[in-house]
Amino acid sequence: MEISVDRANEVLIAKVEGRIDGANAREFEDALNGAIAEDDSKVLLDFGALSYISSAGLRVILLIARLLQKRNAAFALCSLSDPIREVFEISGFDKIISIHDTQAEAVDKIGQ
Amino acid sequence: MTQTPYKILIVDDEPDLEHLMRQRMRRDVRAGLYTLYFAQNGVEALERLNEVPDIDMVLSDINMPRMDGLTLLAQIPNIAPDIRAVVVSAYGDMKNIRTAMNRGAFDFITKPIDFQDLRVTIERTLKNMEEWREALESRDKLVRLQNELNVASKMQQSILPTEFPASDHCDIFANMEPAREVGGDFFDVFPLPGGQIGLAIADVSDKGVPAALFMMSSRTLLKGSAIGAMAPGPVLKEVNNLLTEENEAAMFVTTFYAVYTPETGQVAYANGGHNPPLVVHPDGSSTLLPGTDGVALGVFPGIDFDQSATGLSAGDLLVLYTDGVTEAMNADGEEFGMERLQSVFSESRPETPETANKAVFKAVHDFAGETPQSDDITCVTVLQR
Repeated sequence: MEISVDRANEVLIAKVEGRIDGANAREFEDALNGAIAEDDSKVLLDFGALSYISSAGLRVILLIARLLQKRNAAFALCSLSDPIREVFEISGFDKIISIHDTQAEAVDKIGQ
Repeated sequence: MTQTPYKILIVDDEPDLEHLMRQRMRRDVRAGLYTLYFAQNGVEALERLNEVPDIDMVLSDINMPRMDGLTLLAQIPNIAPDIRAVVVSAYGDMKNIRTAMNRGAFDFITKPIDFQDLRVTIERTLKNMEEWREALESRDKLVRLQNELNVASKMQQSILPTEFPASDHCDIFANMEPAREVGGDFFDVFPLPGGQIGLAIADVSDKGVPAALFMMSSRTLLKGSAIGAMAPGPVLKEVNNLLTEENEAAMFVTTFYAVYTPETGQVAYANGGHNPPLVVHPDGSSTLLPGTDGVALGVFPGIDFDQSATGLSAGDLLVLYTDGVTEAMNADGEEFGMERLQSVFSESRPETPETANKAVFKAVHDFAGETPQSDDITCVTVLQR
């Protein structure tokens, strides 16, 4: 799992590559917490290069979503492959976290 | 430092050595680093070791009357297996040094004794012994934890039902294979008033001890709500609200719960973010139960859970499973997937719920091959007669 961070239109974009499972979920959590600054008010996770996410990874997404909600920060995901999107759909997480098809669309939506 | 001094036993037949050692080491002794004990030969040394059982280190000459240093070395483990011994030999006496090392000596120094070297050797030896003791302690702790985990595992397995309600109208079987000692999957099958049966399958986020604790409370809450004879939607709503309270760790549990009426084959269900169950028809074809737009339990408080219903016809199998089945991986990183699960039933339709579960578990294990199981695998199967 690799995370690369970028900023566009005041949106923090964290691109996640590889797998997130029980073995590296903690590392993923620490990496995101490290990447998101106190004053970031718009956070986007780009899952375009994510190949797998387990429930341990979903838990981290939930933790981050709650943290950002407390700070009134916007949070979204984008570019999910079909299998990853299915994981979000089955668990119902797509109903509580906004998901966009492309990074451009997501930045456009939450960057406003 | 306030730690107790290390106890060092010095074994030598030279009468002057005790005086010399006490003089050279007096600062360390006064500083409370070491306490020195002395013996003049192997026999006396063994006596000292018996009198003072917590001696940390032995420094021994080789040539001594009554019992020499090499014989002593061979005897020490019988009294104190964790003790570290350093031998003192004549310069260049490689033969005896080799013998001493082969008998378990930790190190050697040569005569005449260079006290600077001796001090370094003592420090190094005691440090090694300290690390060894810590390793032993960690090992003991691990063994204890392992034993506790085994108990937890048995407790967890024992709350899962192993006998299932059966009637002229239905036959039910369910089982789970945990990936670790304790798991996060659970299922439940229990009778409800009016001849109905509650069917539940659930999967807690992540694995291990935290998941197991969350699983235990989820399972108790679910059964408690369900026994209140509520419909599936309100049951999930109540359990979700209870689980969301004080859920700082953001654990969640995907849960499918159904109220099944064996007489009519009616299945009323609500799905809280769990994999959609399969209905397998007598010809081996199968369909997925449509979802109810639910969210995993523990995520979001106050939400309603929609429910839906389906009817089982005679010969239909209802198969509930967890993602340990569909996401089992092989060496190439491929997932078992829905199609392979469906083909388990289409290739040769199992006759009973028990053979159905066996066929699913076997197919998953055959597919995964040598790849270790990373998630709990659970199946609940109902045959409508």
